[in-house]
Amino acid sequence: MSEVATVATGWGLTFVAVATYSLWVVRRGRTIGRELGIGDVGSTDFQRDADPRTDP
Amino acid sequence: MPGGTNSTEMTATPATRVLGISAVAATAPMILLGLAISPADVVQGEAVRMLYLHVPSIWVAYGSFVLTSFSSLLFLARSKRRPDGGRHYDRLAGSAAEIGVLFTAITLITGMLWGKVTWGTYWQWDARLTTTVLLFVTYLGYLALRRLPADPMVRGRRAAVMALISFINVPIVHYSVDWWRTLHQKASLSVGRRPEITGEMYWTLLYSVLTVTIIAAWLTVHRYRVIRLEELRDEENLEMLISSRRNEKTADGTGHGDTT
Repeated sequence: MSEVATVATGWGLTFVAVATYSLWVVRRGRTIGRELGIGDVGSTDFQRDADPRTDP
Repeated sequence: MPGGTNSTEMTATPATRVLGISAVAATAPMILLGLAISPADVVQGEAVRMLYLHVPSIWVAYGSFVLTSFSSLLFLARSKRRPDGGRHYDRLAGSAAEIGVLFTAITLITGMLWGKVTWGTYWQWDARLTTTVLLFVTYLGYLALRRLPADPMVRGRRAAVMALISFINVPIVHYSVDWWRTLHQKASLSVGRRPEITGEMYWTLLYSVLTVTIIAAWLTVHRYRVIRLEELRDEENLEMLISSRRNEKTADGTGHGDTT
């Protein structure tokens, strides 16, 4: 594999991995949120985040 | 059930949206700098562009494992004193470890590809590579331990102990290139040491570290909230199960009360 092909493969795989994981996290949050019937999380604070059912 | 389904962004807040937008916005210049603006290396040629993914990935992985250990330590120290058992520390440890494992995997993959071009082989069992793969496997084990069915507090304590044991390997990975003779080059960036690279390469690397850190922070916050949502769902399912068992007993007319 040439240098350019190696670089393209490395960057491509990295972005695919990060994008796939990000989508999985966001979709899982949406799915479980829908199951629980809750909306946005109203806090960015980790202590207050203990209950994400807090409405904004 | 509190609240309604008023948004599709179940784990988002205005602050995390800003963080997410910042991550996406920072990625475009990173690609431009890493693949086009920064020069090719005199020795390594175009292959040096792997540096802008490989180094930020391992730095973010180190940072995530530091956060995992710190949170685990706080969980062990405070779990008995807090009314909620300090479970937010456990959640933070779990979410950070998962991000750390993701970026360790990226480090290994980009390193293997880079090694094929510069060393002529994908893999060598030298000190840096071996300790890094060990790091990956131990934290994978940590994540597996977190999924074992057990009382959340007991599971949290077991996971916290394992996180602290696993962390011992982090400085070993980092200093392996100084402690042993390895095929792997010395650290490109290190605290208290003059950087091995300069100019556009140096700034591109710093910018890439910053960008990947923002991405990891966004992922950690979201993963934390998803873990909390999973816990809420499990608690709700358990309550429903207990309630249905009670109803069954009542319908049967046994009158012996529930045994749950």
